[in-house]
Amino acid sequence: MSTTKAKILSVGTSNPPNRYSQQDVLDLFRVANPTVRAMFQASHIEGRHLVLPEPDAEGIPREDQESLLRKHRKWSLKLAREAIAKALEPQGLKTADIDYLCCITSTGLMLPGLTAMFIKHLGFRVDCHRADLVGMGCNAGLNGLNPTANWCAANPGRNALMVCCEVNSALYVYDDAITTGVVNSLFGDGCAAVLLRGEAPDENPVPQIMDFYSHIIPDAWGAMRYDWQSQHGKFGFYLDRDVPYVLGIHAETPINGLLGRNRLKRRDIDHWIIHSGGKKVIDAIKYNIGITAHDVRHTVDILRQFGNLGSGSFLFSYQRLLNEGAVRPGDRGVMMTMGPGSTIETALLQW
Amino acid sequence: MYTTLSFEESGDVAKITLLHETITMAMVRELTSVCNHLEDESDCKVVVFQGAEGRFSRGIDFAEFKPDEPMDIHGFNKWEKICVRIERLPKATIALVDGPCLGGGAQLALVADAVVATPNSTFQFNEVHLGFLPGMATFRLAKHVGLGRAKRLIMQCPVLSAEDALNLGLIGEVTRDLDSALTATIGAFGPIHTVAVTLARRLLNESFATDFENGIGNFLAAQHRAIHQTPFLETIKKHRDE
Repeated sequence: MSTTKAKILSVGTSNPPNRYSQQDVLDLFRVANPTVRAMFQASHIEGRHLVLPEPDAEGIPREDQESLLRKHRKWSLKLAREAIAKALEPQGLKTADIDYLCCITSTGLMLPGLTAMFIKHLGFRVDCHRADLVGMGCNAGLNGLNPTANWCAANPGRNALMVCCEVNSALYVYDDAITTGVVNSLFGDGCAAVLLRGEAPDENPVPQIMDFYSHIIPDAWGAMRYDWQSQHGKFGFYLDRDVPYVLGIHAETPINGLLGRNRLKRRDIDHWIIHSGGKKVIDAIKYNIGITAHDVRHTVDILRQFGNLGSGSFLFSYQRLLNEGAVRPGDRGVMMTMGPGSTIETALLQW
Repeated sequence: MYTTLSFEESGDVAKITLLHETITMAMVRELTSVCNHLEDESDCKVVVFQGAEGRFSRGIDFAEFKPDEPMDIHGFNKWEKICVRIERLPKATIALVDGPCLGGGAQLALVADAVVATPNSTFQFNEVHLGFLPGMATFRLAKHVGLGRAKRLIMQCPVLSAEDALNLGLIGEVTRDLDSALTATIGAFGPIHTVAVTLARRLLNESFATDFENGIGNFLAAQHRAIHQTPFLETIKKHRDE
């Protein structure tokens, strides 16, 4: 007897309309610090979609914490509306057909959360089950996929939607500090929605989610974190310079765990769907788990085109992989996301 | 268990002996299963490829192609996959050549970390003269010998003596005594720290296809992995204690 597992039926993504090159952002914020300027130029990103306000009287697109929170709320709704519609459309479903809604964000605190706002504005039913995952960072997409997939497996035939919604420009701090430069040069705005349903394996050429494996590195607890910056009256994101290497050296552990538990070898994995954390993170993962530049082609490409989109990044890569048309029935994939904690989350897919 | 090759493993050294003079799909399958064993179970540090009875390999077996049937590219893909797996084995690989090493045989020698040949060995990338292509030797050979020489070897298909191959840098040594040369080559590889050997080889293989900026990022990621392995920690402990 075959057990019911969650299948990923479709994916939709969205970004705000305005796209900025690295040079555009340097010019807009009048960045003078040469180290920060070099960081923008070497970050392997061509452009990012961002929501930036009109320059103030001093010519800087400055925002206080209140405007940043308002921006997060407004653009979360706009981006989610588009991504959700794109995810539902191929299946001929409406938001009212969704029975479980999981929303993920780390770029703005709201109460009530995104699920409540989406139900109010986007036509979800009022008896829709829901979960908000807030503040888990770039890895959170897989932390959300895990309970969503479990819910699907426990409720066969019912529809679940997971929405990763990150308005990273709502974290912008304006100063010349290097840590600010890291954030302002790396992260972009974007939203990804995936539709899941518990079904028995059949000919439907969509992947089943077979397993998850988590790993947290408590020694690197503070390597990625929000700090309250009283001089700015804002939260600022801190990213330790050793993050890529720490994640790299630990990457084998969850991969070996995930594959070992499923009696698979790395060569059995046809597709690697990895979070576009940054150039150095991708390099570290590549050399530590022994995968090739070809394996990370979508991860690198999404980084180049959009920057680090936070929790939804890996779903942009997943969408790229599907659009490429190279996936065949029987193929296996590994999803891998990395973020604060420090955390590495993995999932195993089977087409 | 195997029919196209024999496999023996003793201590740190595994030996693959090609029993057939031509490369068949059966041989590719058997090489794949040997690679599975080497990657999954084997603790050996050196893998030796050799021929039998004064020959190495004459390359692809044309008997597997039928002039009146549709041509199949996928077999070539399988061959390239096994070549790249051999090229990336987490072991040091040594090809011992005695006799003709042609076509696919020469491609195989090209993916080994070291090649030692006897004076009666010959090397030839003969494919273009036969109307097809020498696989991904079209990608690898220029890195070994330079573009101009690679063009000559692949387009004019000269038969190279062992001495010619040595002068071109295609092989590392010519000797009548393969057994002693093998012992010496294994000795030269030294302790063979698997991670360091595998990462160094990967960076070298990538060197011609990567720009410096990406190359240094790759190097730092690889170096970080290397210095966190036991061999490097032992090196610095030993240094501290001396």
